[in-house]
Amino acid sequence: MGNFVRFLREIRQYARLMAVIAFLTVINSALTLPPPMILRYLTDHLMQRTSVNLPGVFTLITGIAIGSSFVGYWLTYSITLLGQRFKQDMRRKLYAHMQTLSLGFFEKSQTGKLMSNITNDVASLDQLIGGGFVNVIQDTVMLTAVLFIVFNIHAKLALIALAVYPLYILNYLAFIGRIKKTSSDVRDQREVLYGDLQEKLAGVQVVRSYAKERYEVRQFVGETRNLLGLNVRMTSLSTGLWTIAEFIGSGCGTGLLLWYGGKLVINGELSAGSLMAFYGYISGYIYAPTVRMIQLNDQIARTNTALGRIFYTLDTKPNVNDKPDALVLPDVRGDVRYEGVWFEYETGQPVIKGVDLDVKAGQMVAFVGQSGSGKTTMVNLLQRHYDVTGGRLTIDGHDIRDVQLKSVRQQVGVVIQETTLFNTTIRENIRYGRLDATQEEIQAAAEAANIAHVIEALPRGYDTRIGEHGIKLSGGEKQRIAIARAILSDPRILILDEATSSLDSETEGLIQEALDRLLVGRTSFIVAHRLSTIVKADKIVVMERGVIRESGSHHELLAADGIYAGLYNQQFKVALEGQAESPQAIAARAEL
Amino acid sequence: MGQFGRLLGYLKPYRVRVSMAVFLLLCNSLTPIAVPKIVQYVIDDVIPHKRYAALNTVFFMIVALYLARGIMSFCLNYLIGWLGQRIVFDLRFQSYRHLNRLSLSYYDTRQTGKIMARLMGDIDFIQQMVSGGFVQFLADLFSEFAVLVVLFRMQPRLGLIAVCVIPFYVLNYKMFIKHIRPLSEQLREKWDLMLGVLQEKLAGISVVKAFVREEYETDRFMDTVRENFDIGMTQMRLNRKLSAYAQIIRALGTGMVLWYGGILVLHRHLLVGELLAFNALIAQLYDPAVRVVDFNVTLQWTASAMERVFETLDTRPEIVDAQNAVTIKSMQGAVELEAVRFGYDRDQPVLRDVTLRVKPGEIIAIVGPSGAGKTTLVNLIARFYDVNSGRVLIDGVDLRNVRLESVRRQIGIVSQESLLFSVSLRENIKYGFHDATDDQILQAAKNADLHNFILNLPYGYDTKIGEDGIKLSVGQKQRMSIARATLTNPRILILDDATSALDSKTEANVQAALERLMKGRTCFVIAHRLSTIMNADRIVVMDGGRIVDVGTHAELVARTGVYQNLYNEQYKSAQTHEFESLFA
Repeated sequence: MGNFVRFLREIRQYARLMAVIAFLTVINSALTLPPPMILRYLTDHLMQRTSVNLPGVFTLITGIAIGSSFVGYWLTYSITLLGQRFKQDMRRKLYAHMQTLSLGFFEKSQTGKLMSNITNDVASLDQLIGGGFVNVIQDTVMLTAVLFIVFNIHAKLALIALAVYPLYILNYLAFIGRIKKTSSDVRDQREVLYGDLQEKLAGVQVVRSYAKERYEVRQFVGETRNLLGLNVRMTSLSTGLWTIAEFIGSGCGTGLLLWYGGKLVINGELSAGSLMAFYGYISGYIYAPTVRMIQLNDQIARTNTALGRIFYTLDTKPNVNDKPDALVLPDVRGDVRYEGVWFEYETGQPVIKGVDLDVKAGQMVAFVGQSGSGKTTMVNLLQRHYDVTGGRLTIDGHDIRDVQLKSVRQQVGVVIQETTLFNTTIRENIRYGRLDATQEEIQAAAEAANIAHVIEALPRGYDTRIGEHGIKLSGGEKQRIAIARAILSDPRILILDEATSSLDSETEGLIQEALDRLLVGRTSFIVAHRLSTIVKADKIVVMERGVIRESGSHHELLAADGIYAGLYNQQFKVALEGQAESPQAIAARAEL
Repeated sequence: MGQFGRLLGYLKPYRVRVSMAVFLLLCNSLTPIAVPKIVQYVIDDVIPHKRYAALNTVFFMIVALYLARGIMSFCLNYLIGWLGQRIVFDLRFQSYRHLNRLSLSYYDTRQTGKIMARLMGDIDFIQQMVSGGFVQFLADLFSEFAVLVVLFRMQPRLGLIAVCVIPFYVLNYKMFIKHIRPLSEQLREKWDLMLGVLQEKLAGISVVKAFVREEYETDRFMDTVRENFDIGMTQMRLNRKLSAYAQIIRALGTGMVLWYGGILVLHRHLLVGELLAFNALIAQLYDPAVRVVDFNVTLQWTASAMERVFETLDTRPEIVDAQNAVTIKSMQGAVELEAVRFGYDRDQPVLRDVTLRVKPGEIIAIVGPSGAGKTTLVNLIARFYDVNSGRVLIDGVDLRNVRLESVRRQIGIVSQESLLFSVSLRENIKYGFHDATDDQILQAAKNADLHNFILNLPYGYDTKIGEDGIKLSVGQKQRMSIARATLTNPRILILDDATSALDSKTEANVQAALERLMKGRTCFVIAHRLSTIMNADRIVVMDGGRIVDVGTHAELVARTGVYQNLYNEQYKSAQTHEFESLFA
């Protein structure tokens, strides 16, 4: 229920629009009531051959239609406006809030789930506004008015005609549980089928290499057959419900009405016109609103879960916040110090355990270690994706928790392993970090990243779109565009998560060259996997389970004969053996 | 129209059910006419003549009528539902079986999403057409016809008045729908656009954050939301206007019928009950008319859905077993490529005149810059594609004359991308060999340096991976696919960059296991790290779709050429330092 209170609070700013909607709804429902009464007037007067105002009947019928379509138009307009506005607000809130959340939040949640939060969950609020709010008013007005009218015409007839009403509801309730169950089974089975299909089609090469085609088809047939059975069951259940409902309501109800009502008319206790009005009201105005009222329950339950998910996201606190008095980090030189830094993603499980590291402006630091040793966490802390849980991290002596987050990130650039480019033009991608860059600057950046010649060879040059609707770039090209992007934003401090994916040596050479240019004059932190990159670093930091085990230059560490020396030898062992085997190889190398 | 004929072909096996359904449909669409006629009887006959007894008959008539209608419509709906679902089943089954026969080249040029859309969305659409649109159309046609007959027999002039409104009603609908349909299309496009922005920016959130673009992105997102808002509002307005005019036109029809009908009653040309029945029946005239007229749109949509489905079914698989294909029972592992030419696109050859002879048990490393044709070469050995010219022979038999399944079962492939399925680790490992014992699975996992990792998981080998399970790192996935390939005990093993994502320590462990596994099998190893390659019996150097050099590491490194360049580049920076430290 708490969700709804909060929902009401969110929607309160539209109170006036809601009042308009409520007002229009009442009028609109009221306008549906007269037609059976007109029929009653007509029937009675025609039967008694008294004076009957036929042009009046015509005018009234068309007049009501015009009025009701006018009101209906504005009612739908207001409902749609309210729904759209409100959804727009919620989407804005959700998306803006998600942007402030830390990377950890995104790592834990799947992109698809977050998207459905913003799209489907928010869309289902429509049901609460249109289906819930409006229908409740409309149906309440209609049911009370119609019951009042029919009981007023003839109470006993009303009681008899509505004798089947409880049966109608019972029938509905008897079926609906099973229908809901089956419908959710159908959905589940569809999802299973869908997921399976998706996977097997995307993995078609594996299926082929193991010659598993027939096996997969068999599996698929089994699952499709299940779906067939469930769907047929679903059809029978819902047809069952509605045919029985029709039998009870229209069949027995009308039968009783004509039987007893006919008697009353013959006895002169009721006019034929009233019987017709009765017939009109009972068949058209009672059962549908009742079913809608019963369904309201489900609708609320469904939107409740959606609301819960929306508010859960909105309530997730960003774990990195600017202090109220945070200053802008001035332009830095690039001295970085980790002072006794501790960090844990989850309490009690420290990932970084008291690390000290002093990096001078312009130095290049390579983090080395096995996965899980804390390399990536070290650089995440520097970008302040998380706050340290102990110690402090300073840039030019400023504790990064004391300055505005934005100003830190603006001066800390990142080039990550899995290059993310967006589906827009190459130009837009390169200048993503600095929207006011000129064409010359963009070109210079592309030049420095060794990608300019590739871009310029494209028919549309920098305006070529990439991604889904554009051209496909190779992994190496993407990486170089990302490097150009980083060069253009010109950060003082640069973080580089080195790619492990294999590129051919030629491409790798181009990237290496671009990176070398990018790194010049910046403080840089490299999460390194290749020794060939590492050997160039001013400082190699060997990490193991959250502590720094060794640090120093390549020569220092080799001389120390520790972990690093071990790693180094491993990668080069084979090469060294190869060299020993073949005198030609030595000859080849000596040429260098 | 040919497509509809073909769709009817799918209904043919069920023709008894189909004709039953049509019969029931016919009866059922007549029942709504009966009730107004009963009311008419009560008003015009029973009441004026004070026939109390007839009221009992009326009661039972109505109950019986609805009972019959209930039974009929239940049977009808069941039949139609069953038929629709059965067609879905038949079409899906056929399509999927066919998809599994199609060669990989079919998948290369199509996105998985598109294929999925055909299998799921399009086929569902056809089903809706069969059990929804088409049945509704028939029912509308029957009842429209029946109502018109009844109306004109009751009072032709009054019938004419009722009918003359229909064209306006239909016209109104047609005029508005012309503008509404493109809007729905637009709305869907905008919505997709919004989803695209969202997907991209949420998946790339680390870039957004790194460049401090949060507010910018929120504004961009809101632009797309606003566009949706505008189109949605326009569409609503048109929809609402359409129904407002429709309502007024109907009211005009009803009003005129009652007016003129009233005059007829006063002049004793019509009975009151007849007028009431008339009034009730014209309500069943308008909406079916619109649906009947609009049916061609549904037809068009269904036609294009069917076209897509049938297109899939009509695609010929490029690789089929020859009539007299032989089975290779136990393969030796000799592989021979004779003057092989191949291009995914025939005009753009990827392999030009490749000849290579590999003895059973030989380990062949394939190196070369990307685009040299390395992966293509091994794809031809697994016969994912057929050569354009030349021959690929295994144990001296042309691959095109061998039963595909018998070859693939004896080839193990670990490819660049490690594709695993969302089932347990155990099931993933034994994917190629379903009868594997637990010991064999364990051994395969140990070989891939995975066993200890798996044992530490809460559910061990039964841990699920994927959506509802754990996430594996790229390296772990690679080791999984190595385990999977080794379990089948293949005669030919293809390792396409199989260890690229492993860190050097793991790579060393896996490498050791792989070396053991490679013993006695014919192996093709594609790798970029030279350290992986040096143990090969022979190294094949490829460039631009040709084999440019073959030899051992020692031989190749001594010759100027592609290999030496590759070797040098990779080791250049390391070597300089190495030499420095040696001299220091």
